[in-house]
Amino acid sequence: MSRAAAVGIDAGSTTCKLVAIDAAGEVVATRLEPASPRLEEQAAQMLSSLLAKLGAADGLPTVATGYGRRLVRGAARQVTEITCHARGVFRALGHGGTLVDLGGQDSKVIRIAGDGRPLDFAMNDKCAAGTGRFLEHTAGRLGVEVAELGERALHSLMEEPITSTCTVFAESEIISLIARGADLDAIIRGLHRSLVGRIVAMVRSVGLDPPLILSGGVALNRGVQEMIAEATGERVLLPPRPQLMGAYGAALIAAGG
Amino acid sequence: MSRLDHLLRFRLAGRAGLALQRRRAERRIDRARPGAGPGLNPPLRSVARMRELMSLHYLEGRYVSGIRPVAWVTSGAPSEILKALGFFVVYPENHAALCGARRRAQRLCEAAEDAGYSRDICSYARTDIGSVLTGDTPVGRLPPPDLLLCCTNICQTVLYWYRVLADHFGCPLVLVDTPFQYRESPLPHEVAYVRRQLEEMVPIAERVARRSLDEKRFLEVVTLSKQASGLWLEVLERARHRPSPLTAFDAFIHLGPVVDLRGDPRTVAYYRQMLAELDGRIAAGKGAVREERYRVLWDNLPIWYRVGPLSKFLAERGVNIVASTYTHAWGEVAPLMDPRDPLTSMARVCLYAILNRSAGQKLEAMRRMVGEFSIDGVILHSDRSCKPYSLGQIDQRRTLAEELGVPALLLDADHNDPRVFAEEQANTRLEAFVEMMGR
Amino acid sequence: MLGTTALPSRREVIAEARARGQRVAAVLPYHYPRVLLRAHGFHPVEVWGPPRIPRDLGSRHFPAYTCDIVVRATSFLLQGGLDGVDAILVPHTCDALQGMGSVLGDFLRPDPAVLTLYLPRGQRPEDRAFLADELRRLGGALAGLSGVEPDAAAWESAFTAESSADAALASLYQRRSRLAVSDRDFYTVVRAREYLPAEEFVALAGSLPEGDSPAGVPLLLSGIVAEPLELFDHLAAAGARVAADDLACGSRRLYPQVAAGDPHERLADRLLGAPPDPTRGSPIAERAAHLRRRMEESGARGLVVYDVKFCEPELFDVPLLRAHLAGAGYPLLHVEVELGEDLGQQALTRLEAFVETLR
Repeated sequence: MSRAAAVGIDAGSTTCKLVAIDAAGEVVATRLEPASPRLEEQAAQMLSSLLAKLGAADGLPTVATGYGRRLVRGAARQVTEITCHARGVFRALGHGGTLVDLGGQDSKVIRIAGDGRPLDFAMNDKCAAGTGRFLEHTAGRLGVEVAELGERALHSLMEEPITSTCTVFAESEIISLIARGADLDAIIRGLHRSLVGRIVAMVRSVGLDPPLILSGGVALNRGVQEMIAEATGERVLLPPRPQLMGAYGAALIAAGG
Repeated sequence: MSRLDHLLRFRLAGRAGLALQRRRAERRIDRARPGAGPGLNPPLRSVARMRELMSLHYLEGRYVSGIRPVAWVTSGAPSEILKALGFFVVYPENHAALCGARRRAQRLCEAAEDAGYSRDICSYARTDIGSVLTGDTPVGRLPPPDLLLCCTNICQTVLYWYRVLADHFGCPLVLVDTPFQYRESPLPHEVAYVRRQLEEMVPIAERVARRSLDEKRFLEVVTLSKQASGLWLEVLERARHRPSPLTAFDAFIHLGPVVDLRGDPRTVAYYRQMLAELDGRIAAGKGAVREERYRVLWDNLPIWYRVGPLSKFLAERGVNIVASTYTHAWGEVAPLMDPRDPLTSMARVCLYAILNRSAGQKLEAMRRMVGEFSIDGVILHSDRSCKPYSLGQIDQRRTLAEELGVPALLLDADHNDPRVFAEEQANTRLEAFVEMMGR
Repeated sequence: MLGTTALPSRREVIAEARARGQRVAAVLPYHYPRVLLRAHGFHPVEVWGPPRIPRDLGSRHFPAYTCDIVVRATSFLLQGGLDGVDAILVPHTCDALQGMGSVLGDFLRPDPAVLTLYLPRGQRPEDRAFLADELRRLGGALAGLSGVEPDAAAWESAFTAESSADAALASLYQRRSRLAVSDRDFYTVVRAREYLPAEEFVALAGSLPEGDSPAGVPLLLSGIVAEPLELFDHLAAAGARVAADDLACGSRRLYPQVAAGDPHERLADRLLGAPPDPTRGSPIAERAAHLRRRMEESGARGLVVYDVKFCEPELFDVPLLRAHLAGAGYPLLHVEVELGEDLGQQALTRLEAFVETLR
């Protein structure tokens, strides 16, 4: 018999994540897969497989969040990723603050109150330039693995400023830089600086209530972590399992917490 | 700010320091050797004096609070009344342009954006709001306003912007609303409306200045304005000569005094000096551009952060931008100014501003200038920040190119926000445009 | 749901007006004198976008950073949507509409006459005097097209008819909490004022059933135009309701009734007496105070500023409105949309998240 009490599904545009929790709000199982274009089928399949594994084939209270939340069959409710991330992070860390969630295709900043409620938020979901996509795309052009990007940025002594604010124009700029013999790692560092600049602008628009917390896939990038800390003058906290905060929060809401 | 500061730092030390800088700059220009092949000749010597005048103005601004009442004013506003009342007048647009030219505008825009101001609003406004919020300015210090004067003859955006300033500074906002001219001549009720607003402005300004408007002084200022404006028009008309002794980019820079310091006797003297220098060049057959092959008209505001590089890029291809609709705006109103009937004529001047007239009338002005300045091609800067200028350019361009047979290029950029400018793309378009003129 | 299929379309209303021998004026947003048009023999039909018209044709005349209201209205004109109207009135609301008046009048030159109306940006005696004269000028232009010069009786009749419709609109808002209609239906009816003849609007407004109004987290909706109407379905699904609005297509046009006098002066007073709004030069603090009062009266817990992209009069005010209202404990959400087919994911998520923060 399963300890599982509730499930949260974060159907994002880059990855689909599931988190199951027990009655005390502790994580008992997680799933993460790259998002399939057939989101509805994928979510249904992941959910039924997880429920079977947990011995809860009859179903569990489920809340769906993320870009594809309306496509999740079997979810009792849809709640936005703003509320879910705030809830998940608050439960994981035990306090509020300003959360910066850096996803593959979007990024958001959420000011979380001392009781876990989201107070204000800003989202960048129209333009790739402030998201993981910016780094990913340009890494692809440079022939560098995404996983290496942060370390290479961190350890570069030089930095090539990238002035274009648009991902597409930035690409032309990078090609010119390479043609002029600029150092690859210096370019990577410049790209990180550009990305962080946009993120910090979003943070300022919402207002920084310390501590500063990062979540989402790009949060694991150490170059981004350091540069955000540098630009804001704040220590940067990461919750455990930073990519799963949305699904975790959804599960907590499903459990009625 | 104390009177002692004003006296010592501005009137004594400041003036002397700036005069020294001017003389040094003049010597540098005198010593400059022109290059070979197509390109820019050394700049006009007068630019040193222009910078001195503008620097003096901003220098006084640092020490003027508490000494003279301060007004912030839009570029098309009737500032003569305020000048006659002794106001120190600040033009946030000129200050923003200065920030743009010195490549400081982006960070000021970002400061405004951090405070919630959208990137889709005018970059002059964002630059100014960013400067007001952070106190960051290349001129040291901008004195806060005791009065705001907003005239809508350049756009409606200034009214939205000045309402933000009024909320921030808590000072009176005087509005001179000018009905947009869809037709050729203003109607009586439109002139009466503007005139009445000018009349109503006087007691408000007098209250803030704590003195009464002296008729004689007012007429003096209006007369000086008319003279400066008339001289400016003459300066611009010198560009009809081949080769032209000045470029429109020179004109954008030398525009400062007739906008900001109109009504000042030194401005009149300055433009006389500039005319003399231009006449000297004409007599010597010397143009601003060596090997002037193509003469181009520029429509809309300049791209402040690229004036130098663009000027050079074009000059190297034998292109002289000899005229612009923007700089003409401050000259063509000169004939309308009438010291015998100052308020009515000022009302007409306000209504006649190029930006207050329809796209069809702007096209007419361009058509006329194509003839008068022997124009080979037109560059229409599609300025993202300036809807009154930019809306209508697509049809204007098509008419120029297809009906008048004048090569015309629409160039996407922004007058103050460098993030909107894509250098590679712009250069490619300009090169193609030059090739088109060559056929 | 209200039998909104029973409401005639704008096309049908145009045809009916013409069948009555009336001329039709297509009117762009948003302050203008209905009475003046009616008195001179014109039936006004407003053009706000419209939402499902692509930008393509209009974008051949306006740059990409021009708002949807102007570009899509131009597309609509160019694809024949305004065929059959006798005049197009473009009020001078902002720089974008200024450009539209120019481009239409100077370059596109459509068959219907292009008329303009300059709206003063102050509420001073000189503004009133100017507006009365400007309305006289517009009246002259209308008379030139229709041949109709209204006498005292014609003016009275026009005033009476339009005042009843205005009163019916105001009454809808007053009775809102007692009307058993969804927000979608409420706004469908409110917006029918944009094109139905006054008499028909009065009947429509009076026909709404009383009863329990929908529940939900109460919001105040501000902005220019609430399109697409699916916006209201989404708000309802998210558990919210619109308790009050500050929409250009709604409450910003609740004009005061003005007693008898010279007709042009009466009309000028009406227009100048509208609630504070950024296109009329209203000081931001006045707007904030007005919105705060509306929120207190209606019980709204948050303000949603719902804007069409590139709307400068709206964009400049948002940061200060946010600050002023935050001081009173009211959060503000700013959403920018394009007048396209569907409300995008981005806007929807923001709206839903905002409602979630207000529960």
